Amino acid sequence: MRSGSQATDGDIVRAVLAGDRERYAQLVERYRDRYARYATRMLGSVDAAEDAVQDAFVRAYDQLAQCKEPDKFVGWFFLILRNRCFAERRRNRTSASLEAANGVAAVDRSDGGAETAEQRRALQLALLGLTPDQREVFVLKHVEGLSYSEIAERLSTSVPSLKMRMHRAYDKLREQLRDHT
Amino acid sequence: MSGHEFHPLVKQLLDGDITLADLPAELRAEGEEALRLLARVARTDVTMPAVTWRVMAALERRRRRFLPWLLAPALAAAAVLVLWLRPGSPPPSAPVVTVRFVLVAPEARQVSLAGTFNQWDSHATPLVRTGPTGVWTATLTLPAGQHQYAFVVDGVRWVPDPGAPAVDDGFGRRNSVLTL
Repeated sequence: MRSGSQATDGDIVRAVLAGDRERYAQLVERYRDRYARYATRMLGSVDAAEDAVQDAFVRAYDQLAQCKEPDKFVGWFFLILRNRCFAERRRNRTSASLEAANGVAAVDRSDGGAETAEQRRALQLALLGLTPDQREVFVLKHVEGLSYSEIAERLSTSVPSLKMRMHRAYDKLREQLRDHT
Repeated sequence: MSGHEFHPLVKQLLDGDITLADLPAELRAEGEEALRLLARVARTDVTMPAVTWRVMAALERRRRRFLPWLLAPALAAAAVLVLWLRPGSPPPSAPVVTVRFVLVAPEARQVSLAGTFNQWDSHATPLVRTGPTGVWTATLTLPAGQHQYAFVVDGVRWVPDPGAPAVDDGFGRRNSVLTL
């Protein structure tokens, strides 16, 4: 079995299930930042996203024996994180979106000037006004840079259905950002 | 089509299926507006370096809580056996010793102590910050004997006492050892 950074996800999952629990840190290290951005955009708050990512990894550890295809750990983990993010949004539907948008804008501040930061804050606020389904497809395509077919595979859905969600999202964003163009 | 809906061709532009040049002239301005919207999307990386140790600490905390329950039947049986072998002679009360635990952690927001003396409960024994220099202390009265412990910083990070010997806990981490 390979060890360290050469090990595949499947190698690590099998090692953890065999009792080498500390190896799980390698999986966390490997994927935490990749999904940090997704969770941050979905929840609109870096703090909430960090809690969600942490919680998803703990849940994934608990259910690791149910990961039928250890070499596809990351796709399986994504669904756990996704469920966690959707549940969090349902719980905090009434939370202050403005505050959340400010939090994400603060992360983006290093990526542009004050005007850009203000526009991004407005966009983040508008994103939080989308339905979770619409927001997710927007984030996966335009933040994560995935193609429609990659998203369809990840979410077990069809490309036409994704495009329908996305096109509604475009219209809603345009409506909400009309005063910020 | 209402006033805020993008034209279907503009949506194809946003999807990356066509370019601005493919749009008819009357849709160019709308296409540019749509592209400006997408240009606001920040792709700044978000890093969460603390997540690794937070996850591993959460798993470790649960293991520490769970382990005593696994051992409880065996310990109970052993206690019964000892009492049965020594009938009628109550054990003398063990001597106790007052100990002051100190950790310098200027960045910490809270520090607590978890060990064999409080069933590894990371909430049971908080330390108090004694001044602006980040010195945290707790004074406990413990029975004589050997105790294992660790400091818990900000509720998640388990760190051994830098001023005490440590032993491997069998799971790749270090517990500090105090012998009284």
